[in-house]
Amino acid sequence: MPDKSAIYADNAATSFPKPRQVLDAVAAVLGSMSLSPGRSAHRFSLESSRLIFDTREALAEFFNCPDSSRIAFTCNVTEALNVGIFGLLGETLHPGDHVITTALEHNAVMRPLRHLEKTAGIGISILPVSGEGEVMVSELPRLMRDNTRLIVVNHVSNVTGAVADLEAIGRQKGEAFLLVDAAQSAGVFPIDVVRMNIDMLAFTGHKSLLGPTGSGGFYLRPGFGLRPLKMGGTGSNSETEIQPDFMPDCYEAGTPNTLGIAGLGAGLNFVTGTGLAVIRAHEQRLCRLFLDGLAQIKGVTVFGPPADRERAAVISLKVSGKSESEVAQRLDRDYHIMVRAGLHCAPAAHRAMGTFAEGTVRFSFGFFNTEADVTACLAALEIISGK
Amino acid sequence: MWSPIQQTPTCVVILFSIHFVLKAEKLLKANGISHDVIPVPREISSDCGMAVEFPCLAKERVLELLSSAGLRIAGLYSREGRDSFQAISPEELAAGVVN
Repeated sequence: MPDKSAIYADNAATSFPKPRQVLDAVAAVLGSMSLSPGRSAHRFSLESSRLIFDTREALAEFFNCPDSSRIAFTCNVTEALNVGIFGLLGETLHPGDHVITTALEHNAVMRPLRHLEKTAGIGISILPVSGEGEVMVSELPRLMRDNTRLIVVNHVSNVTGAVADLEAIGRQKGEAFLLVDAAQSAGVFPIDVVRMNIDMLAFTGHKSLLGPTGSGGFYLRPGFGLRPLKMGGTGSNSETEIQPDFMPDCYEAGTPNTLGIAGLGAGLNFVTGTGLAVIRAHEQRLCRLFLDGLAQIKGVTVFGPPADRERAAVISLKVSGKSESEVAQRLDRDYHIMVRAGLHCAPAAHRAMGTFAEGTVRFSFGFFNTEADVTACLAALEIISGK
Repeated sequence: MWSPIQQTPTCVVILFSIHFVLKAEKLLKANGISHDVIPVPREISSDCGMAVEFPCLAKERVLELLSSAGLRIAGLYSREGRDSFQAISPEELAAGVVN
């Protein structure tokens, strides 16, 4: 049983709690049907295929994708980003080509890109961030080159909570392939792949889409191909030993995470049923309350956009004279408040914000946090910062 | 197993994967066309996938729906008997000479 007195403020890592219907969906699938979609012709297999189909269709509608077959499931956003970055090599991206990314990227983007820099000689330019931790999209034209083939952008920073202006980037991307990391934004901020001119959208199920860990995927614009990272059984074209060349099968070798996809479908259903605007407004209210309160606490420095800017409820801070791990440990031990301290797998972002190598203490609120949670976090920080 | 809709001559459409079979099922359902999702008959293909069976009378409408949704057809057959199928060639389809 969860600790009722605990306050969970680590939703940027994994959202908690999950809606009841997510738990029910996972349990129902595990208890009532086979988990081998697309593999056999019996009714269990067909039922699980339908469940995956329905989730795919719902995701396509949610992100305004023109064709649901262009959505493939992966085990998380890291896998989706890896399929994108490594899969483009030899297709859209060639050795020696140029890539633009931002100073706020997670290692799920930075590590694959740095690997290609070393092994395939791609050039990387970094869009800088402002003092308030927002990507400076105005610098994009200056960085564009004739051989810029790929732009990779984090929609919402998992360190500063800043929101990148995807529409502006989509307008200025030219012929480059736009890959968006929607790890923190999907389920809170509206995403329209058509309006934003996105070529590939990578998302995860276990954060604001409120699904279980092990679920995620990507949308790929029609007309683009990626070299699959894995090949194997797809339940289709079984008479041939060649990997299918059509989506979604070409990127979904092996039995999928049917349980995770069922939970993701239920989470998405909760999000659309509640309304994205309602979720965003709630999280913004909590974020503002927290930022306003922090401004009153001496010795606390916030790294990220101010409360009046569009931002996510992901707040990085430092307490003067205290290490990040000490603050996080005291919050957990003395106040049952769970946060995350350190670099949040985004060393580039901390370098840009001047908080490398010790990092920050990160609070991230979700739809199930309350104003009372925020007030309790502020009260605890006030005591910790004063002693 | 004989399905209820086989009271009337039926056609079987083969698509490239289960996703497209279910997309076709959704389209036919939304348009009130009776149909069954069936295992691909062994007589047609060794593939282990599923196919969609529907009354041949609705063939033109079905093809139009699939085409407007961008679904590529891997094969189309008319059922001649319990285990017997006749391929409908692309030329025949284009000329509209079948049925």
